[in-house]
Amino acid sequence: MDQFRPRNDDHPVREIQKGVEDLKALFEGFFRGRGLWIVILIVIILYLLSGFYIVQPGERGVVLLFGKLNAITEPGLRYRLPRPFMDAITVDVANVRRAEIGFRSDGARTRNVPQEALMLTGDENIVDVQLIVQYVVNDPVKFLFGSDNPESALKASAEVALRGVVGENTIDFTMTSGRMEVQKKVEIYLQKLLDTYNTGILVVQARLLAVDPPAQVQEAFHDVVRAWEDRERLIKEADGYREDVIPKARGMAQQEIREAEAYKAQRVIRARGDAARFDVLRQEYEKAPEVTRTRLYLESVERFLPNTRKFIMEGGDSRVLPLLPLTNLGDGPKQQSSSEESPSSQMKGKQ
Amino acid sequence: MSPMVKIGIVIVVLLVLLGQPAFVINEAEQGLILQFGKPIRIIQEPGIYLKYPFIQDLIVFDKRILVADARPAEYITLDKKRLTVDTVSRWKISQPLEFYQTVRDYRGAVSRLNDTIFARLREAIANHTFISFIREERENIMNRVAEETAIPAKQFGITLVDVRIKRVDLPEEVQNSVFARMRAERERIAKRYRAEGEEKGREIRANANKEKEIILAEAYRKAEVLKGDGDAEATTIYAEAYGKNREFFSFLRHMDVYQKIFGEDTTVLLRPNSPLMEYLDTPFVGETSVRKVLR
Repeated sequence: MDQFRPRNDDHPVREIQKGVEDLKALFEGFFRGRGLWIVILIVIILYLLSGFYIVQPGERGVVLLFGKLNAITEPGLRYRLPRPFMDAITVDVANVRRAEIGFRSDGARTRNVPQEALMLTGDENIVDVQLIVQYVVNDPVKFLFGSDNPESALKASAEVALRGVVGENTIDFTMTSGRMEVQKKVEIYLQKLLDTYNTGILVVQARLLAVDPPAQVQEAFHDVVRAWEDRERLIKEADGYREDVIPKARGMAQQEIREAEAYKAQRVIRARGDAARFDVLRQEYEKAPEVTRTRLYLESVERFLPNTRKFIMEGGDSRVLPLLPLTNLGDGPKQQSSSEESPSSQMKGKQ
Repeated sequence: MSPMVKIGIVIVVLLVLLGQPAFVINEAEQGLILQFGKPIRIIQEPGIYLKYPFIQDLIVFDKRILVADARPAEYITLDKKRLTVDTVSRWKISQPLEFYQTVRDYRGAVSRLNDTIFARLREAIANHTFISFIREERENIMNRVAEETAIPAKQFGITLVDVRIKRVDLPEEVQNSVFARMRAERERIAKRYRAEGEEKGREIRANANKEKEIILAEAYRKAEVLKGDGDAEATTIYAEAYGKNREFFSFLRHMDVYQKIFGEDTTVLLRPNSPLMEYLDTPFVGETSVRKVLR
């Protein structure tokens, strides 16, 4: 520590010169010995060690010898000659990458890109489409050397394919029943383009995320959906009405028929009863017609006359009839009826 | 200086001198060697090559498939509709010498190519109606434009891979009228759906009503037949029974009827000579019989 303490010296420059000379002497001593060779050796070893490279799982190493394709290496610790003799580029061939057409997702939020998403359909409509393309690099050599910026080629080609296919079809087809077909066609078309461009990319899947009407006409499209629902509702309501009316009518019909059957049955049974009663009575009557007849007659009269108002006319002249105050013949039918009652009861008793 | 250091310097100088004429063309590249500005050698295979330093120059070109993304331009179709079309073409430098002599570099190539494509595409689109361009002929038009562009492109040392239409858009104001039409179209469909619902609904209701009326009428018919049967059968039974003694039946029925029709509000005028009053004026004719009873 002492040597770093400031010294009381008049010539600090000379001190420095002295220090440099010491250092020189040290170096010269070193280089004169085996020192130089050791340095050269270390440099050479370090240089050679720079030829090691790691191919990660799911990657391929593309090894070039003077720029010319030399080998493709599998994952692991690999060695090649150092630059500028050999070079190695690793390419991820397992990772499924994705490209977004019509939108960008940053984090959880997605942002619409109208100039990509809006496209013309075959029936001169405009539709808003979002496509996602999943792809892998299946040929690392082509991926590196086949095409300039293969991933931007993929994006542009996906747009070409998507617009081509959507343009061939109607808006309704693309939005509804044809969705899967459009998706498949885009995939095939896109793969064809990528093969022509030597991109070394394999499309795993092209998936339509959204096929919507543009925002400007969305309300009208929603209304179509509502109209369809209205249509279904009206039909269902009518079905409901039918379900309500028909069983009720059937019930009413059954009721009427049963009632008629009841009427029929009771008519016949009553008739039989009446007939049986008559038959019995008749048989008795025929045994003694005179007496029975008188009896029945008087019984009958006995039953209905008591309640009526009666007048007995002397001489039996019916010509007085118009003179009778028919409306005021009101009082005391009871006495007369009681007087009438006795002979008939006597008649009854006589039987 | 020690001899070791001298040797080291010599090695470095040698490496630099050797390194200067040596160059590498990789898989993605091709090269053209110029001697005093005059092309003398084309290199298309990757590898290490030598050239004279200072008197020879190396120009490196891309060997990969390159892209020329044109700026969107306006075109007019046969039916006078304006369109904005964005094309993209892919090509590669197949003849570095011609390429260097005619278009010099990438940017030159792109602008020449795009000019040609623009001209050819304008002709092609002008020969097609809007709808046939969008729907049917897009692929054909692109292929034809590509073929027609490939010929001049060859003079630039370029091999054209293809020309594709990336986007076809309508100008703003046309777009708005398209939206208006789309709205009208949807409104039409919505109206149709609602009317169809009404139609089907009414049909179902009317059918239900019809069915109901038929069911009820059929029931009425059956009921009437049944009632008639009942009446007929009853009539037969009555006729058969009463027919055995018509006179007696008539008598009995009359008695029943009298009972029903005479009530408190009935006034009966009895004549003394009526059979009922038979004994009122002549009590002694049948005296014996009466007495018998009284006794």
